Formats: sequence, structure tokens, C-alpha cells
Amino acid sequence: MSDLLALLSYPFVIRALVAGSLISICASVLGVILVLKHYSLIGHGLSEIGFASLSVASALNVPAVLISTPAVIIASFVIMFVSQKFKTAGDIAIAIASSAALALGISISSLTGGTSSTGAYLFGSVLAVSDGDLIFSVILSVVVLTIFIIFYNRLFLITYNENYARSLGINTTFYQLIISVLTALVVVSGMRITGTLLISGVIILPAVTAKNFASRFKTLVIMAGAVSFVAFIAGLVISFVFNIPAGAGVILSNSAILIFVKIFARLKNKK
Amino acid sequence: MTDIKLNLENAVIKYEDTIVINDLSLQVHGGEMAFITGANGSGKSTLMRGIAGLLPLSAGRLTRSAKMSYVPQIEEADRDFPACVREIVLTGTQRKKKFFYTRCDYELANKIMKELFIYELANREIKNLSGGQLRRVFLARALCGEPDLLLLDEPCAGLDVESHKILFRILENELANGCAVIMVTHDDSDIEGIKDSHVIKISDGRIKI
Repeated sequence: MSDLLALLSYPFVIRALVAGSLISICASVLGVILVLKHYSLIGHGLSEIGFASLSVASALNVPAVLISTPAVIIASFVIMFVSQKFKTAGDIAIAIASSAALALGISISSLTGGTSSTGAYLFGSVLAVSDGDLIFSVILSVVVLTIFIIFYNRLFLITYNENYARSLGINTTFYQLIISVLTALVVVSGMRITGTLLISGVIILPAVTAKNFASRFKTLVIMAGAVSFVAFIAGLVISFVFNIPAGAGVILSNSAILIFVKIFARLKNKK
Repeated sequence: MTDIKLNLENAVIKYEDTIVINDLSLQVHGGEMAFITGANGSGKSTLMRGIAGLLPLSAGRLTRSAKMSYVPQIEEADRDFPACVREIVLTGTQRKKKFFYTRCDYELANKIMKELFIYELANREIKNLSGGQLRRVFLARALCGEPDLLLLDEPCAGLDVESHKILFRILENELANGCAVIMVTHDDSDIEGIKDSHVIKISDGRIKI
């Protein structure tokens, strides 16, 4: 325990703790919308595209954020549009786009000798969190939570029934764009810590867990945020104790909470 | 009569590249009720979705009241959402350009839920409602938009006698207040129950009034 507390004296641990917690909460809040709209695969597709864009940025020797942010935002909007328009074809499009993007990213890294950074991109690293990342995560979480509060009723309606919202004359494309942009920003900022392979789990797992015991949209959003926060802290502790990547620790703790909740719900229903 | 709530001129509506509605013209005025009938797959729901603006017209022109409310058929996905009856009914007020519900919105929702006898279900989760109850919730949501054009896609399916009576009493009130109603139905007794109504039969994408 004292060893864990001693870790808090390291600035990089504090940065990872604060930035990671904020991004996890934002990811889970957006994850509620994605899960309820059956867009669960989007986070996975975006993270692979994020990886490819990071490889391109690394090869061109430009700041990663300049390439990955617009690339992932555009990809996010295209994937959501295709998923909505073509239903099943949307899943296929995500699978194709994500594997193609991963292959492209690995190829670019291999050709440009950037394989050492490839591991950090794929699996994440708490050491990778800079002061800039910390500031970005604070701004991002303020933006996400403010938008969620202001547009709550609209997001509720669009998540429940987008067609009905359109029939009322609501510009659903605008809100789709907001969700796409925020999801993309969360993916780009989160993949530094959890890695591109695991960020989708940070988005989806807390919402899936909270769905087991929340009967209202508002409760679901709050519970998903709480689960995500607890899972992130637990995951970070696990990663330090067992010396495994932080992303893996976070996903393992999220998965453990989900399994526990599922078993608890099953036992409760049997009574 | 100049109070036109819906004017559809030579409309062509496709569903997945197939022409479902072909060269259809239709005009409905305030206080009028139009029943759309036809065999399964004849394009009744496609027409409603076209009028509601959810499917684009491939040709023709659509002019309709901005205060339109649409009650679609119930789909399984409609139940699988963490929400209670009041939350769903309130969404009907979102046509107004505001982000938060006002006290008036809550009062309107409560009044309409009482009229439809679902006020006691206000806090019940929608996944625990029967089909008939959910239809009444969707009608309440539509009425919360204070429409002057009301589109109902098979609202009577699965309704018991009492719910059916409630629905038609509400529709008669709406018609008396100058609202135009367009309703898809399979039941001739629905049509006979309303005086100022015309029947549109759809067959092979065309209509016979």
C-alpha cells in the first residue's frame, strides 16, 4: 500500500491518473450513446484508424495530433453515416476499415523504422502522458460534459429514436456530428494511455456494465461514468502491481466489474 | 377550403430502389381525416414515412404543415431503452427550439397522459408496457407536439376495445380543433366511425380515392 502511495509522488503518475480518469469518464458517457444506438464497434474502428494516422504522423515527423485528430473525426462521421444508412453493411465497413487501417499503420511503421513507437501506440503507456495531454483532457472533459448537459434532451431523443427526432424537424445530422467529433477526440486522447487496441473497451464496457442496473438514461450515463472512473483507478493499480500496460489493467478491471455485475444480476433474478 | 395541411403532388417514393408510391397526389385539409388502406406491402407505411419526411421523394412535391406529429408502428427497438413513460411523452415537445423542458411542457404532458389514461404509468419503464399501452404513449408523445397534422401508422393494431374508444375520442377532439389526421388502417369499422373522412386505397403504388 505504501508503495502505491509513493507512486503518487511521481508527476507522470499524477498526470496519467488525472488525464486517464477524465478521458475514461468522457469515453463512458459517450459510450452510453454508442451502445444504445448499436454503434459499439465504432470505437474499435476509430482506434485502428487512429493507429494508422499516428504511424503516418510519425513517418512524416509531424505532431501526431495534427494528423490523427482530423483523420479520426472524418472517419468517425463516415462510419456513423454508413452504419446508419446501411445497417449490417456498416459493421462490415467497420471491420474492413479497421483491419485495413491497422495493416496500413504497421506497414508504414515497418517501412519507416518506427516499430519501437508502434508498441506504445498499440498498447499505450502512462509515461506517454505529457502536460499538454493533461490540459487537453481537462478541456475535453469540460466540453463533453457541458455539451451533454446542454443537449441532454436532444441527445436522449436522438439516441432513442432518430427518425422521430427528424420528423420533429430536429437537425439530427448536427447532433450526429457532435457525437462523432467528441468520440473521435476521446479516442485520439485516450489511445495514448490505453493504446489503440484497447480504447474501444474503455468506451463500451462501462456502459454495458451500467446497463445491467440502470433503468433510466440519466442514471445510465452517471453510473457508466462512475464505473469507468473506478475501473480506471483499479486498472492503474493493477498495472503497477503486476507490471502490465495500463490499458490492459484498465480493460481487465472493467471486464471483472462487468462479470461481477452479470453474476450478481443473475443471482438476484433467481431469487 | 384553403386550410391545407398536406399537399402531395405527383409524388414518387422509393424504398431500397423499388418504386413503392408512384405518381401520387393527395390533399388533406384541417379538420379532415384521411384513411390509408391497402394490402400488406402495398406501400402504406412508405407513404407515411415519405409524408413525415423520413424518406425523400424521388419526384413530385410535398408541402405540409410544420406542426406535424408522426406515430410510427411499434418496433422491438422501441422498448429496449432505459426510459420511463413521462420521459418519452415529453420528447414530443422538442419541436420548439429550446434545450430544456419548461413547467408548461410538464403540465401539457401530464394533461395528455391523463386524457389517454396513462398518467398512472408515468414513471413506469417503457420495457414493462403492453403493446396497447406503448401505442398510447406514442400517441401522447405526438399530441405533446400540439400538431395540426397528425400521422398515425396502424395505431389500432393490438388495441383493446377501451383503448380503441379512447383513441377515437381523442382523434375527434383533434379534428374538431382543426387538426388534419392521416391514418393507416386495415379495419373498415375505423373508417365508418368518422364523418368528414376520405379513404385512400393503395394498390400497386397508386391510389384510388
